[in-house]
Amino acid sequence: MSESPTEGTATDASTERAAEETPGDDEERSEIVLEVENLRKEFGALVAADDATFDVERGTITGLIGPNGAGKSTIFNLISGFYEPDAGSVRLNGDDVTGIEPYKIANRGLIRTFQTPRKLEGMTVREAMLIGPQRQPGESFHKLFTAPGAVGERERANMADVERILEEFEIDHLARQPATDISGGQMKLVELARAMLAEPEILLLDEPVAGVNPTLANKLADQIRRLHEQGTTFLLIEHDMSFIMSLADPIVVLDQGSVLMEGTPEEVRTDERVADAYLGGGGV
Amino acid sequence: MSTLTDPRGYWGDLTSEERGVAGFLAAAVLVLLALMLTGVLNPTYFLFLFGLGGMFGLMSLGLNAQWGYTGLINFSVAAFFGLGAYGAAIMTASNSPIAGDMNPIFGLVLGLILSAIVAIAIGIPTLRLRADYLAIASLGLAEVVRLIILNEGQWTAGSQGLRGIPRFFEGWPVLPTLPEALPQVNIEMIPGRVVTLGLPFWRQLLNVTLVLTFMAGAYLVLRRAHRSPWGRVLRTIRADEDLAKALGKNTYFFKMQSFVLGCLVMALAGVFFAHFQLFVNPGNLDPTTTFYVWVAVILGGAGSNRGALFGGFVVVAIREGPQFIEQLPPAFLTEFPPGFLRDLGFITDDVLFELPSIAISPGPLQLLLVGLLIILIMRFRPQGVLPPQRELIWPDAVDEDVRKRPDSGVRDQRGGDGDE
Repeated sequence: MSESPTEGTATDASTERAAEETPGDDEERSEIVLEVENLRKEFGALVAADDATFDVERGTITGLIGPNGAGKSTIFNLISGFYEPDAGSVRLNGDDVTGIEPYKIANRGLIRTFQTPRKLEGMTVREAMLIGPQRQPGESFHKLFTAPGAVGERERANMADVERILEEFEIDHLARQPATDISGGQMKLVELARAMLAEPEILLLDEPVAGVNPTLANKLADQIRRLHEQGTTFLLIEHDMSFIMSLADPIVVLDQGSVLMEGTPEEVRTDERVADAYLGGGGV
Repeated sequence: MSTLTDPRGYWGDLTSEERGVAGFLAAAVLVLLALMLTGVLNPTYFLFLFGLGGMFGLMSLGLNAQWGYTGLINFSVAAFFGLGAYGAAIMTASNSPIAGDMNPIFGLVLGLILSAIVAIAIGIPTLRLRADYLAIASLGLAEVVRLIILNEGQWTAGSQGLRGIPRFFEGWPVLPTLPEALPQVNIEMIPGRVVTLGLPFWRQLLNVTLVLTFMAGAYLVLRRAHRSPWGRVLRTIRADEDLAKALGKNTYFFKMQSFVLGCLVMALAGVFFAHFQLFVNPGNLDPTTTFYVWVAVILGGAGSNRGALFGGFVVVAIREGPQFIEQLPPAFLTEFPPGFLRDLGFITDDVLFELPSIAISPGPLQLLLVGLLIILIMRFRPQGVLPPQRELIWPDAVDEDVRKRPDSGVRDQRGGDGDE
């Protein structure tokens, strides 16, 4: 019911952004959520990330693109703590988070998803969703026995959130399905919905529409726009050019582990270096 | 409560697996009762076997909390069982080199503390790594613990073992003398076959009560934990540890908790064993125990507390069953009239005919049956007999889900005149 007006404003806002920034946005844009500076990672002789430097400003949907092997996923793993960088730094809201454990980074408000949806065997969709919320009292063993009331209260609240967000994502009919029995695209939706339950400040999406049919991909794009409207900052990797060009601004282009350029979708589209990188870059 | 007020509805709520297991259990109870009342199976001996079953059930519950919940591969079940047994024995045995002759409660505490310390010590280096490393380390740990107990005679009395362990309820009010006070009961269902329930029976019944208490305690704690957000994090780690990390869960800490919890339950089985056999020696840490417990958990279904208990009892039935079989095929299939009918005295002692059969020794048959069982499970039911049947969500939250409307109405009312 409330879907169409939300969608409407989302589309309006993104058109506005594409045209030029609104004054309201300007204030927010001065703040940087994520600073990646000279990030470097070598696997033997291969330099997967070569002094990559870029910022993600609050309130943006920043795209990260580049040809295969450009180091996009490596950068994601370095930012989210799954890899330890050989050099460089990652700052989250101004705090240095370089090389700290993934769960600590997540606790500071950076949540990521994975390229291939992770399957949770033996859980229903809503159970799998309930892992999302952070700092649940029920995650502390002794509180299960000393404060069962608080645990139950939070679980009820979380359950209500799960139902609400599944409805917003229009997948509430899947709530009690086994989490492994849904389609790849639905898994991506569930992953995005679950990540939102963690109330992230910045959400890193690794190829959110890879292998997803166009209808579902549009739905995912709508959801990302809607969540963006609600104040979440996004950094996303995607190979689907039309998807990322319509969604992201600015776009960071990676090539061979370092940042080739950064700009609006229009600038990226017309940049010769980008075309070269994608076509093999023989001229350099 | 719903079981009592609405038995039919309760039965209707069960899944087909649950009905199958319930039916199987009911049949087993009937057969065992019949065997005991007719004097074929000695009731005291049955209680002894039941005690063993409970002990294995406890160990399976412990392993299930590690492997079934979190995916931790622990091959030192026997070691943690042994630590529990030796913890209890060192405090209470009459020939204990250190303490001895103390109240069994102290033994219980020492057994649990010992196993927790060893669990943490082995967990610190291995739980940060992939699951395989714990498996390898625990394989070695089992042997290390056994050899320490065997060789450190100044603490453990070495290979001669610790004897003179009192019963668990020694020093409690009423309970230690209760078996003596109970009368001898004679049951004569079939003329000439008197089944006597005397002192040994009541003593064994007290043991069974102890193991049932331990089992109930462990089961209730584990069930609550399994359905909680805590258990959900463990299940996420089992399915995909990276995902749990990415969602902000300190997986190392959760794995440690799960590991220690499981080891404590295994130690509980050991404490029971010490007060059950009244004697422990290093041979009780035999690594084959570990593999029987693994079979029990796989049979029951990974992640299922009830399945683990069920598996524990089935494994004991398979371990102890072959000693009742003297030949294959069993006599009642090859002789007519079958032996048990002649035993009951209905029929004269003449064997009308006898088919060829081979004499059997129970040891190899045990192994054969266990091997067969594993193959059958893997082939036909890899998920186990009774895998988790329902969503694991904190009960309050699901109830709320079902009767949403009336409850929200009540909450609105409270909000109106409440002071919070």
